Amino acid sequence: MAATTMDSGEAGKGGPPEWMALALDAAPMDVRGFLAQGEDPFAAIMEAAAVVEFGGFLVIDAPFNPSPLRRVLAGRGFSSYGRKLSEGHWRVFFHLDGGADWESGAEVQVLPEGAMTWREDDGIHIDVRKLSPPNPMLAILRLIEGLDGDETVVVHHEREPHFLIPELAERGWRIARVANEVVNVRLWLERAV
Amino acid sequence: MFPGSLMMGAKDRLLPPSVPYRFFVAAVAFHLAAWVLLAVAGPDAALGFVGGQGTALAALHLITLGTLAMTAMGAAIQLLPVATRRPLGPVWACKLMFAVYAPGVALFCTGIALAVPGLQHGGAGLAALGLLIFGGLVAANLRKVDDLPGVTRHAWLALAGLLGIVVLGFALVVDFTKGFLGDHGAIAAAHGVLAAYGFMGMLALGFSYVLIPMFVLGSAVPDVLGKRTALLSAVALGLGALGAALGLGVLAALGALVGLAAAVLYLKGMRDSLKTRMKKRLEPFFRLVWIAWGLLPFSLLLALPPALGAPLDPWGVLWGFVLVFGWLLSFVTAILQRIMPFLASMHSSALGGKPALLSHLSPKLPVDIHLGCHAVALVLIGVALAGGWAWPMRLGVLAGLAGAVSFGVYTVEVLRRYGSHMAAAAAAHQQG
Repeated sequence: MAATTMDSGEAGKGGPPEWMALALDAAPMDVRGFLAQGEDPFAAIMEAAAVVEFGGFLVIDAPFNPSPLRRVLAGRGFSSYGRKLSEGHWRVFFHLDGGADWESGAEVQVLPEGAMTWREDDGIHIDVRKLSPPNPMLAILRLIEGLDGDETVVVHHEREPHFLIPELAERGWRIARVANEVVNVRLWLERAV
Repeated sequence: MFPGSLMMGAKDRLLPPSVPYRFFVAAVAFHLAAWVLLAVAGPDAALGFVGGQGTALAALHLITLGTLAMTAMGAAIQLLPVATRRPLGPVWACKLMFAVYAPGVALFCTGIALAVPGLQHGGAGLAALGLLIFGGLVAANLRKVDDLPGVTRHAWLALAGLLGIVVLGFALVVDFTKGFLGDHGAIAAAHGVLAAYGFMGMLALGFSYVLIPMFVLGSAVPDVLGKRTALLSAVALGLGALGAALGLGVLAALGALVGLAAAVLYLKGMRDSLKTRMKKRLEPFFRLVWIAWGLLPFSLLLALPPALGAPLDPWGVLWGFVLVFGWLLSFVTAILQRIMPFLASMHSSALGGKPALLSHLSPKLPVDIHLGCHAVALVLIGVALAGGWAWPMRLGVLAGLAGAVSFGVYTVEVLRRYGSHMAAAAAAHQQG
């Protein structure tokens, strides 16, 4: 099942980039086993990325949308496109093409602080991992201040953001739920009733 | 999915709120005690003060050790582990730190005011023990951090300054009775430089890089700027302290100029963060921050005349006053004003209810009164010290005292509102 997508750079495009057809032939590297054992697969992924030649592909299977990894690899010239195949299973395709428009073919939007947002069935997701403080707080507050209605915001963070609580309260929001996973603390933010 | 991310996934621990608040309440109490002491002692105690035991030195240490360092300790033990994402140390160590430090400061200042060596030595020993526990906890935390160079380099400099002030401070206290130092005034000046610009100043700069962008919702200060201010500060502190201790005025003046360069860079970083802020309307605490930021470079300029041979009365005492009461006390009371309700709000949802709003926890009138009184005190006492006039000194001290009372009222009110919120939350929690 493909994720509900939100095209950031080119309105109406929405679908996968043209290079996706070629990327489907590449064998995926499944890092879910690493994470299930509490191991950080970053080094292994970097090793795999290092041997990709220009025009080549790298495909990663992960239990969540690995936004920080996508930002890191974008810095090394990879464009990326992610699909949510099932609950707890994302497949992200990387294409070494210079990465100049790395986010334009993706289903995500990048906020000024560098946070990535995308939409899923349970609400708007925002990934603030690997951002310097206080940019995670800024990105989250910027997102919720721009929202109308009762939409849930799902934050992907490195830790529980204690300093965020007072600022959320001032804006009529609260942390409704927290889930601690390996390299991904998820917080569900809702308007306080 | 990135280096070190596993460690960062660990759940952060917040200290029980009573731990940082005991430091904050003590800081507010010592602040009040300092102004009471100055008011009781009368204008002559401070006019022309260039050192020596008595009420002026006791009041000075009630502010530096009692208010400034006490606040820094309380804030650091709570904020540092959250900012660095590394644990600080056991809660009992934080409690022990307070248990020895607070009575140590009280004993030491009493001993200085009454010129009782036993109280001075005992108090200094306890206070130094508290500071060393603090230094140990912070050092253990910083050792594990490599991703916040702008903050950690200033914190390391603060710890180096701490070691220096403990050693020189002990030498000065013992010298009151033994008289073994060749130039007590020179060592006192070096002690002052390391304490005010080194320990407190470096903590203020380092924490600014985290707290100010967070409080105004401004962009992060680039690491490269933090590294530069840390480097310049290290050079300035070395030159300033060495120049003061050895009586080499030109070296000390050079240190002040390098320090001025560091201050200008720091203020530029703060300005850049403020320019990008999401909060267009700055909160009341920021009025004190503006005062502090204005007086930081002014204090460094004022350091030049006494360093280059101008008479210590009034130049030395004026420099010390602007440095301690102008830059540091304004900055620390600003942070204290913001951080007390902030921490209360952070802890207020512990029982699962709605968090208390910052705006509901912070009464505005007491901080307005404090701001006005503090500003009046700075102007009047500054004028009194410059001209050697008693009446502005008397009025200035009364204004400072009124401001300290008002700040005390603010503190009590924040804690009362927090207590009411938690009592209501506990009642709701029990009802299911």
